[in-house]
Amino acid sequence: MRINPNVTADLLASLANAQEEQNKAMLQMASGRRVNTPSDDPSAAAILVQNQAQSSQADQFLRSADSVQAQLQTTDSTLNSVVLALQRAISLGVQGANGTLSDANRASVVGELNGIQDQLIGLANLSFQGQFVFAGTATQAQPFVADATQPSGVRYDGNAGTNSVAVGDGVSMQVNVPGSQIFAATGSDMFQAVHDLITALQSNTGIDTAVTGVRAAFDHVTAQRVFYGNAMNQLQSQQTYLNNDKLLLSQQENAVGGADLAAATTNLLSAQNARSAALAAAGKISQLSLFDYLNY
Amino acid sequence: MSSLFGTLSIAVSGLLAEQGALNVTSNNVANANTPGYSRQRPVLLEGDPVPVGPLLFGSGVVLDSVQSVGDPILELRLNEETQQHSQLDTMVSAMQQIEVMFSGGTADIGSQITNFFSSLQQLSTNPANMSARQGVLTAAGNLATAFRSTVNNLQSQRSNLDLSVGQTVDQINVLSGQIATLNQQISGIENLHQDAGTFVDQRTQLIRQLSELVDVSVVKSDNTLTITTSSGDALVAGTRSFALTTQTDFSGVQHVFSQGTDITAKLAGGNLAGIFAVRDQTIPALRSDLDTLAAGLATALNTAHHQGTDLAGVAGGDLFSPPPAGGVDAAANFSVVITDPSKIAASSDGSAGSNGNLTRLLDVQKQAVTAGQSPTDFYAGIVFRVGSDVANASAERDASDLILRQLGDQRSAISGVSMDEEAANLVRYERAYQAAAHVITVVNNMTDVAIQLGRY
Repeated sequence: MRINPNVTADLLASLANAQEEQNKAMLQMASGRRVNTPSDDPSAAAILVQNQAQSSQADQFLRSADSVQAQLQTTDSTLNSVVLALQRAISLGVQGANGTLSDANRASVVGELNGIQDQLIGLANLSFQGQFVFAGTATQAQPFVADATQPSGVRYDGNAGTNSVAVGDGVSMQVNVPGSQIFAATGSDMFQAVHDLITALQSNTGIDTAVTGVRAAFDHVTAQRVFYGNAMNQLQSQQTYLNNDKLLLSQQENAVGGADLAAATTNLLSAQNARSAALAAAGKISQLSLFDYLNY
Repeated sequence: MSSLFGTLSIAVSGLLAEQGALNVTSNNVANANTPGYSRQRPVLLEGDPVPVGPLLFGSGVVLDSVQSVGDPILELRLNEETQQHSQLDTMVSAMQQIEVMFSGGTADIGSQITNFFSSLQQLSTNPANMSARQGVLTAAGNLATAFRSTVNNLQSQRSNLDLSVGQTVDQINVLSGQIATLNQQISGIENLHQDAGTFVDQRTQLIRQLSELVDVSVVKSDNTLTITTSSGDALVAGTRSFALTTQTDFSGVQHVFSQGTDITAKLAGGNLAGIFAVRDQTIPALRSDLDTLAAGLATALNTAHHQGTDLAGVAGGDLFSPPPAGGVDAAANFSVVITDPSKIAASSDGSAGSNGNLTRLLDVQKQAVTAGQSPTDFYAGIVFRVGSDVANASAERDASDLILRQLGDQRSAISGVSMDEEAANLVRYERAYQAAAHVITVVNNMTDVAIQLGRY
């Protein structure tokens, strides 16, 4: 059999192959990724698209949770101030119910209660990042406005709308309670209760009943406040879950598309070996032929 | 009886034949690195015997012909594999450029879809906030840009491929013209019963080049050669060549015609087939996928957007420009309609602070709005298809590479010039020449003796 006398083409092809393998391994090591283009591993590339969507969604859920939490905290501490103000109103009422109090003393109690009423209106008009938190979804205008035509002296301009924010895949949280429900619910309207207490003190009749009314309002606000406490708890556990989820997703990303550095290093080394072997072979190919041994 | 002069003429025939053989060896050595060269060998024949009385004496040697050594079947195999190889090579390099657009950069469509929904999510935590609203419009604009620039890239890729159609056809016509000319020369030589090896080598080389450009089928009859495309459209018939022409169709791409017939879809190998596969199949299929995605997204988001009200309590209009009927070119026309951030219909109850309608918009991300799949899943499917198209074509190309190399090895084993062989032949011819020359000396001496006969 006649042998191919010219092996240069084969040699060059082996050299090119080794070079390609070497480049691939180097790219993997440099980028840290096994899948650099979809053709490197089409199904892994498709999984990575979904993985990337999920992890950036998880990032966004975390950002949403952060801003919701800031709003919930501010709201909760404002409600705390409301509760303290109502407590003060109750003790002022109890003080005013004491029959030994002079008219002048009662007048000064009334004065302080008027101040508390104004403070309560101010607190109920809390705005967070330009939005009125207790206005339901009508967050652009002050929800509670002093209005003498109202029985309680305060008018509610907000609505009963609530907002929910998604903080996880399929997990959505109500983030506000309308002010009408917290402060102005029928039977436990705090503005009405304080207003009634002021009227009772001024006329010095039915003070005890009025104090009971304020107590009811106090109980109601305290009960409503539980919503915020629960929401913050829920948010915290959701944040923990999201952080774990992100970790899992990035582990998955690594498992699917990350470079196996050990394998890449091995590949690089073996490609280098193959290349040096091919080069050595190329260098050793005899340049001699029978011509060199014939004497003329 | 034989004569001294008879012996002399035998020796001279040896001198001439060996010199001719030496000539062939010299030509082989000279062409050792000439692409497409097939080694030649001298065909030496005994001279016709001369009857002398009852005896038959040889009359020396004749250098009958110079033969090129080759395997025509192997050449055909090489042509076929070359067609396959260059088709795949063209496809792979074109598709690798397409693949880059789907390689998961930060500006690709997949990331921009996610970014857009993230911006809606961000707005839902503070629905009346103007900067968050602006953020949604910016993300929507980026999404539209991603669609449009991907389509633009695909389109310019298609134009570039189209540009090379004309150039390739020109090359084909030049080659088939050259082959027709060679056919004429070869049949002239072969009619004289000579070996037209050198011209055949040249023609084989030209057919090889033609195979890189287009699929050819070679039919040899007597001493003419007919080349057609594999679907039977003539390129060369004997000494005539048939030029291919190009014509631009209604969609602005070039079609290839052979004597008035459109053969674009019939080509099955070579660069042209590779160009057409990507230009007429891969890219249009991708564009149609992107159109489905863009149309599905725009329609679903617009529908959701209509259900809400904006900051002023006015019902939401279109967020994105509505896709054209049938969704054709939806990706190329994907654009944001709203420019005023307050017009984003986030509210579901008419109040500015409500985020209820954002939930509807966000739900689109999980809904089967594009061919029964969520937008992200559908996009992941596109990435998978692009990747596997490239991976499959590259694998086939690599396999074809290997086959082509093995065939090249086989060809070289048969037709390649071996220096050792040539050196050995050189020795043989030289020695034979020397011996023949020696015979002449001996005859000379003997003639001398004969002339001296009878002298004192």
